[in-house]
Amino acid sequence: MATFELYRRSTIGMCLTETLDEMVQNGTLSPELAIQVLVQFDKSMTEALETQVKSKVSIKGHLHTYRFCDNVWTFILQDALFKNEDSQENVGRVKIVACDSKLLTQ
Amino acid sequence: MAASTTSQVYIDVIEDVMVKVRDEFVNNGGPGEEVLKELQAMWESKMMQAGAVLGPIERSAAAKPTPGGPITPVHDLNMPYTEEYETPTAEMLFPPTPLQTPIQTPLPGTGDNSTYNIPTGPSDYPSSGNDNGGNADGKGGRPAPYMKPPSPWMNPRPPLDVNVAYVEGRDEADRGTSNQPLTQDFFTMSSGKRKRNDLTSQYNSGGYIPQQDGAGDAALGVFEIEVNGGDISINSHHTISKAKVPADLERLTSRIPQLDGPIPYEDDALSTPNIYNYGEVFSEDYNISNTPAPPEVPASTPALVAQNEVGNDDDDDDEPPLNEEDDDDLDDIEQGDDQNTHHLVLAQFDKVSRTKSRWKCTLKDGIMHINNKDILFNKATGEFEF
Repeated sequence: MATFELYRRSTIGMCLTETLDEMVQNGTLSPELAIQVLVQFDKSMTEALETQVKSKVSIKGHLHTYRFCDNVWTFILQDALFKNEDSQENVGRVKIVACDSKLLTQ
Repeated sequence: MAASTTSQVYIDVIEDVMVKVRDEFVNNGGPGEEVLKELQAMWESKMMQAGAVLGPIERSAAAKPTPGGPITPVHDLNMPYTEEYETPTAEMLFPPTPLQTPIQTPLPGTGDNSTYNIPTGPSDYPSSGNDNGGNADGKGGRPAPYMKPPSPWMNPRPPLDVNVAYVEGRDEADRGTSNQPLTQDFFTMSSGKRKRNDLTSQYNSGGYIPQQDGAGDAALGVFEIEVNGGDISINSHHTISKAKVPADLERLTSRIPQLDGPIPYEDDALSTPNIYNYGEVFSEDYNISNTPAPPEVPASTPALVAQNEVGNDDDDDDEPPLNEEDDDDLDDIEQGDDQNTHHLVLAQFDKVSRTKSRWKCTLKDGIMHINNKDILFNKATGEFEF
Protein backbone atom coordinates (compact mmCIF):
# COMPACT_ATOMS: atom_id res chain seq x y z
CA MET A 1 0.00 0.00 0.00
CA ALA A 2 1.40 3.26 -1.06
CA THR A 3 1.30 6.04 1.46
CA PHE A 4 1.80 9.73 1.53
CA GLU A 5 4.24 11.33 3.86
CA LEU A 6 2.01 14.36 3.50
CA TYR A 7 0.29 13.99 6.85
CA ARG A 8 3.56 14.02 8.75
CA ARG A 9 3.32 17.79 8.55
CA SER A 10 0.10 17.79 10.51
CA THR A 11 -0.02 18.34 14.23
CA ILE A 12 -0.19 14.67 15.05
CA GLY A 13 2.56 13.87 12.58
CA MET A 14 4.82 16.61 13.91
CA CYS A 15 4.29 15.43 17.46
CA LEU A 16 5.22 11.91 16.46
CA THR A 17 8.25 13.11 14.53
CA GLU A 18 9.48 15.16 17.47
CA THR A 19 9.02 12.24 19.81
CA LEU A 20 10.89 9.89 17.51
CA ASP A 21 13.68 12.40 17.08
CA GLU A 22 14.12 12.69 20.82
CA MET A 23 14.10 8.95 21.33
CA VAL A 24 16.57 8.36 18.53
CA GLN A 25 18.88 11.02 19.92
CA ASN A 26 18.60 9.47 23.35
CA GLY A 27 19.61 6.16 21.86
CA THR A 28 16.43 4.50 23.08
CA LEU A 29 15.21 3.99 19.55
CA SER A 30 17.00 2.99 16.38
CA PRO A 31 16.53 5.23 13.36
CA GLU A 32 15.28 2.29 11.34
CA LEU A 33 12.55 1.55 13.83
CA ALA A 34 11.62 5.21 13.98
CA ILE A 35 11.13 5.23 10.22
CA GLN A 36 8.98 2.15 10.49
CA VAL A 37 6.81 3.95 13.01
CA LEU A 38 6.49 6.92 10.67
CA VAL A 39 5.49 4.71 7.78
CA GLN A 40 2.89 3.02 9.95
CA PHE A 41 1.62 6.44 10.92
CA ASP A 42 1.22 7.32 7.25
CA LYS A 43 -0.89 4.24 6.75
CA SER A 44 -2.93 4.63 9.91
CA MET A 45 -3.60 8.30 9.35
CA THR A 46 -4.70 7.77 5.77
CA GLU A 47 -6.90 4.88 6.76
CA ALA A 48 -8.48 6.83 9.60
CA LEU A 49 -9.27 9.75 7.32
CA GLU A 50 -10.90 7.42 4.84
CA THR A 51 -12.94 5.42 7.28
CA GLN A 52 -13.71 7.64 10.25
CA VAL A 53 -14.09 11.11 8.83
CA LYS A 54 -17.29 11.98 7.06
CA SER A 55 -17.41 15.76 7.25
CA LYS A 56 -17.41 18.02 4.26
CA VAL A 57 -15.81 21.43 3.95
CA SER A 58 -16.09 24.24 1.48
CA ILE A 59 -13.21 26.61 0.90
CA LYS A 60 -13.41 29.98 -0.75
CA GLY A 61 -10.84 32.66 -1.09
CA HIS A 62 -8.50 34.67 -3.24
CA LEU A 63 -5.89 32.47 -4.88
CA HIS A 64 -2.59 34.21 -4.35
CA THR A 65 -0.30 31.46 -5.62
CA TYR A 66 -0.80 28.15 -7.35
CA ARG A 67 1.78 25.55 -8.11
CA PHE A 68 1.70 22.04 -9.49
CA CYS A 69 4.92 20.16 -9.14
CA ASP A 70 5.62 16.44 -8.82
CA ASN A 71 1.91 15.70 -8.72
CA VAL A 72 1.44 17.98 -5.76
CA TRP A 73 -0.81 20.99 -5.90
CA THR A 74 0.05 23.90 -3.70
CA PHE A 75 -2.35 26.79 -3.25
CA ILE A 76 -1.82 29.85 -1.16
CA LEU A 77 -5.10 31.56 -0.39
CA GLN A 78 -5.73 34.99 0.99
CA ASP A 79 -8.80 35.92 2.97
CA ALA A 80 -10.01 32.37 2.86
CA LEU A 81 -13.33 31.23 4.30
CA PHE A 82 -13.67 27.66 5.55
CA LYS A 83 -17.13 26.30 6.15
CA ASN A 84 -18.26 22.99 7.50
CA GLU A 85 -21.41 21.77 9.15
CA ASP A 86 -20.45 23.13 12.52
CA SER A 87 -18.65 26.35 12.00
CA GLN A 88 -16.74 28.58 9.71
CA GLU A 89 -13.29 30.04 9.97
CA ASN A 90 -11.73 33.08 8.39
CA VAL A 91 -8.04 32.99 7.64
CA GLY A 92 -5.95 35.79 6.22
CA ARG A 93 -3.48 33.47 4.57
CA VAL A 94 -3.49 29.71 4.27
CA LYS A 95 -1.50 27.17 2.35
CA ILE A 96 -3.12 24.10 0.86
CA VAL A 97 -0.95 21.16 -0.08
CA ALA A 98 -2.67 18.33 -1.90
CA CYS A 99 -1.29 15.12 -3.32
CA ASP A 100 -2.89 13.27 -6.18
CA SER A 101 -5.43 10.86 -4.76
CA LYS A 102 -5.08 8.57 -7.76
CA LEU A 103 -1.56 7.71 -6.71
CA LEU A 104 -2.89 5.90 -3.65
CA THR A 105 -5.43 3.83 -5.50
CA GLN A 106 -2.96 2.60 -8.03
CA MET B 1 -17.76 18.87 17.61
CA ALA B 2 -15.11 19.01 14.96
CA ALA B 3 -12.36 19.36 17.51
CA SER B 4 -13.66 16.51 19.63
CA THR B 5 -14.02 14.20 16.66
CA THR B 6 -10.58 15.23 15.50
CA SER B 7 -9.23 14.39 18.91
CA GLN B 8 -10.90 11.01 18.84
CA VAL B 9 -9.52 10.27 15.39
CA TYR B 10 -6.05 11.24 16.56
CA ILE B 11 -6.33 8.96 19.56
CA ASP B 12 -7.46 6.13 17.36
CA VAL B 13 -4.57 6.75 15.00
CA ILE B 14 -2.12 6.66 17.86
CA GLU B 15 -3.60 3.45 19.14
CA ASP B 16 -3.55 1.92 15.67
CA VAL B 17 0.08 2.84 15.18
CA MET B 18 1.00 1.47 18.58
CA VAL B 19 -0.74 -1.81 17.90
CA LYS B 20 0.80 -2.26 14.51
CA VAL B 21 4.37 -1.45 15.43
CA ARG B 22 4.32 -3.45 18.65
CA ASP B 23 5.72 -6.50 16.96
CA GLU B 24 8.69 -4.53 15.74
CA PHE B 25 9.36 -3.29 19.27
CA VAL B 26 8.87 -6.55 21.10
CA ASN B 27 10.28 -9.01 18.60
CA ASN B 28 13.30 -9.07 16.32
CA GLY B 29 15.55 -7.67 19.02
CA GLY B 30 13.46 -4.53 19.32
CA PRO B 31 13.83 -2.13 22.23
CA GLY B 32 10.89 -3.67 24.02
CA GLU B 33 7.44 -2.86 25.32
CA GLU B 34 8.66 -0.13 27.69
CA VAL B 35 10.15 1.93 24.88
CA LEU B 36 6.92 1.59 22.96
CA LYS B 37 4.98 2.87 25.95
CA GLU B 38 7.40 5.72 26.33
CA LEU B 39 6.89 6.58 22.68
CA GLN B 40 3.14 6.57 23.10
CA ALA B 41 3.22 8.66 26.25
CA MET B 42 5.50 11.27 24.71
CA TRP B 43 3.46 11.39 21.57
CA GLU B 44 0.21 11.77 23.44
CA SER B 45 1.56 14.35 25.79
CA LYS B 46 2.85 16.40 22.88
CA MET B 47 -0.55 16.17 21.29
CA MET B 48 -2.20 17.41 24.45
CA GLN B 49 0.28 20.23 24.71
CA ALA B 50 -0.53 21.20 21.15
CA GLY B 51 -4.23 21.07 21.98
CA ALA B 52 -4.83 18.56 19.23
CA VAL B 53 -5.93 15.88 21.66
CA LEU B 54 -8.50 16.85 24.21
CA GLY B 55 -8.50 15.98 27.84
CA PRO B 56 -8.17 12.83 29.81
CA ILE B 57 -11.69 11.52 29.24
CA GLU B 58 -11.33 10.47 25.65
CA ARG B 59 -7.76 9.56 26.29
CA SER B 60 -8.60 7.31 29.22
CA ALA B 61 -11.23 5.61 27.11
CA ALA B 62 -8.85 5.11 24.25
CA ALA B 63 -5.86 4.29 26.37
CA LYS B 64 -7.53 1.79 28.66
CA PRO B 65 -5.48 -1.10 27.35
CA THR B 66 -2.26 0.62 28.27
CA PRO B 67 -1.57 1.46 31.90
CA GLY B 68 -0.10 4.77 30.79
CA GLY B 69 -3.56 5.97 29.81
CA PRO B 70 -4.89 6.93 33.22
CA ILE B 71 -1.61 8.28 34.41
CA THR B 72 -0.92 10.53 31.46
CA PRO B 73 -4.00 12.63 32.17
CA VAL B 74 -2.51 13.43 35.56
CA HIS B 75 0.60 14.74 33.90
CA ASP B 76 -1.19 16.45 31.07
CA LEU B 77 0.61 19.75 31.17
CA ASN B 78 4.21 18.78 31.59
CA MET B 79 6.04 16.66 29.13
CA PRO B 80 8.87 15.88 31.53
CA TYR B 81 6.45 14.33 33.96
CA THR B 82 5.21 11.86 31.43
CA GLU B 83 8.77 11.03 30.58
CA GLU B 84 9.52 10.73 34.20
CA TYR B 85 6.56 8.52 34.70
CA GLU B 86 7.47 6.02 32.11
CA THR B 87 11.21 6.32 32.10
CA PRO B 88 13.32 5.59 35.11
CA THR B 89 13.99 8.53 37.33
CA ALA B 90 17.68 8.30 36.56
CA GLU B 91 17.07 9.49 33.04
CA MET B 92 15.13 12.39 34.41
CA LEU B 93 17.97 13.28 36.68
CA PHE B 94 20.52 13.45 33.90
CA PRO B 95 18.80 16.04 31.71
CA PRO B 96 17.95 18.36 34.60
CA THR B 97 21.43 18.43 36.03
CA PRO B 98 23.11 19.57 32.82
CA LEU B 99 20.37 22.13 32.40
CA GLN B 100 20.84 23.43 35.90
CA THR B 101 24.59 23.58 35.74
CA PRO B 102 24.70 25.71 32.59
CA ILE B 103 22.05 27.97 34.01
CA GLN B 104 23.84 28.37 37.28
CA THR B 105 27.17 29.02 35.68
CA PRO B 106 25.87 31.86 33.52
CA LEU B 107 23.97 33.34 36.42
CA PRO B 108 27.03 33.54 38.68
CA GLY B 109 29.09 34.94 35.84
CA THR B 110 26.58 37.61 35.09
CA GLY B 111 25.98 38.11 38.74
CA ASP B 112 29.65 38.64 39.36
CA ASN B 113 29.85 41.17 36.61
CA SER B 114 26.76 42.96 37.73
CA THR B 115 27.75 42.81 41.35
CA TYR B 116 31.17 44.04 40.46
CA ASN B 117 29.76 47.04 38.69
CA ILE B 118 27.07 47.69 41.25
CA PRO B 119 29.24 47.43 44.36
CA THR B 120 31.76 49.81 42.91
CA GLY B 121 29.03 52.40 42.53
CA PRO B 122 27.72 52.08 46.07
CA SER B 123 31.18 51.65 47.53
CA ASP B 124 32.17 54.82 45.76
CA TYR B 125 29.21 56.58 47.24
CA PRO B 126 29.98 55.67 50.86
CA SER B 127 33.64 56.47 50.36
CA SER B 128 32.65 59.79 48.87
CA GLY B 129 30.36 60.28 51.78
CA ASN B 130 33.24 59.82 54.16
CA ASP B 131 35.34 62.21 52.17
CA ASN B 132 32.47 64.62 52.06
CA GLY B 133 32.14 64.37 55.79
CA GLY B 134 35.75 65.43 56.12
CA ASN B 135 35.14 68.17 53.64
CA ALA B 136 32.04 69.26 55.43
CA ASP B 137 33.98 69.65 58.66
CA GLY B 138 36.45 71.96 56.99
CA LYS B 139 34.07 73.76 54.61
CA GLY B 140 30.93 74.24 56.59
CA GLY B 141 29.11 71.11 55.44
CA ARG B 142 28.03 71.81 51.87
CA PRO B 143 28.20 68.15 50.92
CA ALA B 144 26.38 66.93 53.99
CA PRO B 145 22.85 68.06 53.06
CA TYR B 146 23.19 66.86 49.50
CA MET B 147 23.25 63.34 48.32
CA LYS B 148 26.66 61.87 48.81
CA PRO B 149 27.49 61.17 45.16
CA PRO B 150 26.19 64.45 43.76
CA SER B 151 27.63 66.54 46.54
CA PRO B 152 31.33 66.08 45.73
CA TRP B 153 30.65 66.67 42.12
CA MET B 154 28.48 69.71 42.83
CA ASN B 155 31.16 71.19 45.00
CA PRO B 156 33.75 71.51 42.21
CA ARG B 157 31.64 73.60 39.90
CA PRO B 158 30.52 76.42 42.20
CA PRO B 159 34.16 77.48 42.67
CA LEU B 160 34.60 77.17 38.95
CA ASP B 161 31.67 79.52 38.44
CA VAL B 162 33.36 82.10 40.61
CA ASN B 163 36.08 82.63 37.98
CA VAL B 164 34.16 83.36 34.83
CA ALA B 165 36.95 82.94 32.30
CA TYR B 166 38.33 79.98 34.08
CA VAL B 167 34.93 78.48 34.36
CA GLU B 168 34.35 78.77 30.68
CA GLY B 169 37.66 77.19 30.02
CA ARG B 170 36.83 74.39 32.39
CA ASP B 171 33.42 73.72 31.05
CA GLU B 172 34.72 73.61 27.56
CA ALA B 173 37.63 71.52 28.68
CA ASP B 174 35.27 69.17 30.38
CA ARG B 175 33.22 69.02 27.23
CA GLY B 176 36.38 68.70 25.19
CA THR B 177 35.53 71.65 22.94
CA SER B 178 37.63 74.62 24.04
CA ASN B 179 40.98 73.11 24.91
CA GLN B 180 41.44 71.01 21.85
CA PRO B 181 45.22 71.44 21.87
CA LEU B 182 45.10 70.25 25.44
CA THR B 183 43.06 67.33 24.34
CA GLN B 184 45.58 66.64 21.64
CA ASP B 185 48.27 66.66 24.28
CA PHE B 186 46.11 64.30 26.16
CA PHE B 187 45.96 62.01 23.20
CA THR B 188 49.69 61.76 22.97
CA MET B 189 49.94 61.51 26.71
CA SER B 190 47.15 59.00 26.81
CA SER B 191 48.99 56.75 24.42
CA GLY B 192 52.03 57.04 26.64
CA LYS B 193 49.82 56.57 29.69
CA ARG B 194 48.34 53.40 28.37
CA LYS B 195 51.77 51.88 28.37
CA ARG B 196 52.07 52.72 32.08
CA ASN B 197 55.82 52.36 31.68
CA ASP B 198 56.53 56.06 32.21
CA LEU B 199 55.32 56.55 35.74
CA THR B 200 58.17 58.98 36.36
CA SER B 201 57.25 61.14 33.40
CA GLN B 202 53.66 61.09 34.55
CA TYR B 203 54.78 62.02 38.01
CA ASN B 204 56.68 64.98 36.60
CA SER B 205 53.57 66.10 34.80
CA GLY B 206 51.40 66.07 37.86
CA GLY B 207 48.28 67.13 36.01
CA TYR B 208 48.25 64.09 33.78
CA ILE B 209 49.00 61.68 36.52
CA PRO B 210 45.55 61.48 38.05
CA GLN B 211 44.10 60.46 34.72
CA GLN B 212 46.85 57.97 34.37
CA ASP B 213 45.88 56.84 37.81
CA GLY B 214 42.58 55.92 36.34
CA ALA B 215 44.34 53.78 33.80
CA GLY B 216 46.92 52.42 36.23
CA ASP B 217 45.04 51.17 39.26
CA ALA B 218 48.00 49.33 40.70
CA ALA B 219 50.20 52.01 42.33
CA LEU B 220 48.51 53.71 45.27
CA GLY B 221 51.65 55.63 46.24
CA VAL B 222 51.81 57.15 42.82
CA PHE B 223 48.25 58.30 43.26
CA GLU B 224 49.04 60.06 46.50
CA ILE B 225 52.00 61.85 45.04
CA GLU B 226 49.99 62.90 42.08
CA VAL B 227 47.25 64.06 44.34
CA ASN B 228 49.65 66.32 46.14
CA GLY B 229 50.68 67.85 42.85
CA GLY B 230 47.04 68.29 42.01
CA ASP B 231 46.45 70.06 45.27
CA ILE B 232 49.21 72.51 44.61
CA SER B 233 47.87 73.31 41.21
CA ILE B 234 44.38 73.70 42.58
CA ASN B 235 45.61 76.14 45.19
CA SER B 236 47.24 78.12 42.45
CA HIS B 237 43.91 78.26 40.67
CA HIS B 238 42.04 79.54 43.63
CA THR B 239 44.59 82.23 44.44
CA ILE B 240 45.62 83.18 40.93
CA SER B 241 43.42 85.55 38.95
CA LYS B 242 41.89 84.81 35.56
CA ALA B 243 44.69 86.25 33.47
CA LYS B 244 47.41 84.68 35.54
CA VAL B 245 46.20 81.17 35.14
CA PRO B 246 46.63 80.89 31.38
CA ALA B 247 49.64 83.18 31.45
CA ASP B 248 51.54 81.25 34.10
CA LEU B 249 51.60 77.80 32.67
CA GLU B 250 49.55 76.35 29.92
CA ARG B 251 50.52 72.95 31.18
CA LEU B 252 49.30 73.79 34.65
CA THR B 253 46.02 75.05 33.26
CA SER B 254 45.63 72.05 31.12
CA ARG B 255 46.61 69.84 33.98
CA ILE B 256 44.52 71.80 36.39
CA PRO B 257 41.22 71.47 34.64
CA GLN B 258 41.54 67.73 34.62
CA LEU B 259 42.45 67.69 38.27
CA ASP B 260 39.83 70.29 39.04
CA GLY B 261 37.15 68.28 37.30
CA PRO B 262 37.60 65.36 39.63
CA ILE B 263 38.89 67.27 42.64
CA PRO B 264 38.05 70.93 43.11
CA TYR B 265 39.03 71.20 46.77
CA GLU B 266 42.10 70.24 48.62
CA ASP B 267 40.09 67.88 50.77
CA ASP B 268 38.68 66.33 47.65
CA ALA B 269 42.16 66.03 46.30
CA LEU B 270 43.16 64.32 49.49
CA SER B 271 40.25 62.00 49.03
CA THR B 272 41.37 61.27 45.49
CA PRO B 273 44.23 59.04 46.59
CA ASN B 274 41.67 56.37 47.36
CA ILE B 275 40.78 54.25 44.43
CA TYR B 276 37.19 54.49 45.50
CA ASN B 277 37.34 58.23 45.19
CA TYR B 278 38.68 57.84 41.74
CA GLY B 279 35.69 55.66 40.98
CA GLU B 280 33.52 58.43 42.33
CA VAL B 281 35.02 60.80 39.88
CA PHE B 282 34.00 58.45 37.14
CA SER B 283 30.49 58.17 38.40
CA GLU B 284 30.15 61.91 38.81
CA ASP B 285 31.47 62.68 35.40
CA TYR B 286 29.12 60.14 34.04
CA ASN B 287 26.10 61.62 35.71
CA ILE B 288 26.93 65.16 34.74
CA SER B 289 28.39 64.97 31.28
CA ASN B 290 26.66 61.91 29.95
CA THR B 291 23.31 61.68 31.62
CA PRO B 292 21.51 60.37 28.51
CA ALA B 293 23.89 57.53 27.74
CA PRO B 294 24.85 55.34 30.69
CA PRO B 295 27.53 53.36 28.81
CA GLU B 296 29.38 56.59 28.16
CA VAL B 297 29.82 57.19 31.84
CA PRO B 298 32.87 55.04 32.41
CA ALA B 299 34.29 56.36 29.20
CA SER B 300 33.62 59.95 30.24
CA THR B 301 36.34 60.13 32.84
CA PRO B 302 38.95 58.81 30.45
CA ALA B 303 37.32 61.07 27.91
CA LEU B 304 38.60 64.04 29.87
CA VAL B 305 42.05 62.58 29.42
CA ALA B 306 41.72 61.47 25.82
CA GLN B 307 38.78 61.96 23.49
CA ASN B 308 39.90 59.16 21.24
CA GLU B 309 39.15 56.64 23.90
CA VAL B 310 35.81 58.24 24.47
CA GLY B 311 34.95 58.14 20.81
CA ASN B 312 35.93 54.51 20.59
CA ASP B 313 33.93 53.67 23.64
CA ASP B 314 30.94 55.50 22.26
CA ASP B 315 31.17 53.64 19.00
CA ASP B 316 31.36 50.35 20.82
CA ASP B 317 28.42 51.31 22.96
CA ASP B 318 26.37 52.42 20.00
CA GLU B 319 26.94 49.34 17.90
CA PRO B 320 25.43 46.68 20.16
CA PRO B 321 22.05 48.36 20.52
CA LEU B 322 21.87 48.89 16.77
CA ASN B 323 22.59 45.24 16.15
CA GLU B 324 20.03 44.26 18.72
CA GLU B 325 17.41 46.37 17.03
CA ASP B 326 18.22 44.78 13.71
CA ASP B 327 17.90 41.34 15.20
CA ASP B 328 14.58 42.23 16.73
CA ASP B 329 13.29 43.46 13.41
CA LEU B 330 14.42 40.29 11.67
CA ASP B 331 12.88 38.16 14.36
CA ASP B 332 9.62 40.00 14.03
CA ILE B 333 9.60 39.49 10.30
CA GLU B 334 10.37 35.81 10.66
CA GLN B 335 7.66 35.43 13.23
CA GLY B 336 5.25 37.13 10.91
CA ASP B 337 6.14 34.71 8.14
CA ASP B 338 5.67 31.80 10.49
CA GLN B 339 2.30 33.12 11.45
CA ASN B 340 1.34 33.63 7.84
CA THR B 341 2.21 30.08 6.92
CA HIS B 342 0.86 28.65 10.12
CA HIS B 343 -2.53 27.83 8.66
CA LEU B 344 -2.13 24.69 6.65
CA VAL B 345 -4.33 22.25 4.81
CA LEU B 346 -2.97 18.82 3.95
CA ALA B 347 -5.13 16.77 1.66
CA GLN B 348 -5.42 14.73 -1.51
CA PHE B 349 -6.89 16.22 -4.61
CA ASP B 350 -9.35 14.45 -6.86
CA LYS B 351 -9.69 17.16 -9.43
CA VAL B 352 -8.41 20.65 -10.08
CA SER B 353 -9.86 22.76 -12.86
CA ARG B 354 -9.64 26.34 -13.98
CA THR B 355 -11.90 28.57 -16.02
CA LYS B 356 -10.18 31.84 -16.70
CA SER B 357 -9.31 33.15 -13.31
CA ARG B 358 -11.76 30.92 -11.46
CA TRP B 359 -10.31 27.78 -9.92
CA LYS B 360 -12.26 24.82 -8.63
CA CYS B 361 -10.86 21.87 -6.83
CA THR B 362 -12.17 18.85 -4.99
CA LEU B 363 -10.12 17.54 -2.13
CA LYS B 364 -10.50 14.56 0.12
CA ASP B 365 -9.06 13.09 3.27
CA GLY B 366 -7.67 16.35 4.54
CA ILE B 367 -6.22 17.65 7.75
CA MET B 368 -6.63 21.36 8.30
CA HIS B 369 -4.83 23.34 10.93
CA ILE B 370 -6.60 26.67 11.04
CA ASN B 371 -6.71 29.18 13.87
CA ASN B 372 -4.99 26.69 16.16
CA LYS B 373 -7.67 24.10 15.53
CA ASP B 374 -7.29 20.82 13.77
CA ILE B 375 -10.20 19.99 11.51
CA LEU B 376 -10.46 16.81 9.47
CA PHE B 377 -12.57 16.45 6.39
CA ASN B 378 -13.56 13.66 4.09
CA LYS B 379 -14.30 15.92 1.18
CA ALA B 380 -13.70 19.56 0.46
CA THR B 381 -14.63 21.79 -2.42
CA GLY B 382 -12.62 24.86 -3.15
CA GLU B 383 -13.52 27.87 -5.25
CA PHE B 384 -10.72 30.35 -5.66
CA GLU B 385 -10.43 33.59 -7.56
CA PHE B 386 -6.97 34.24 -8.87
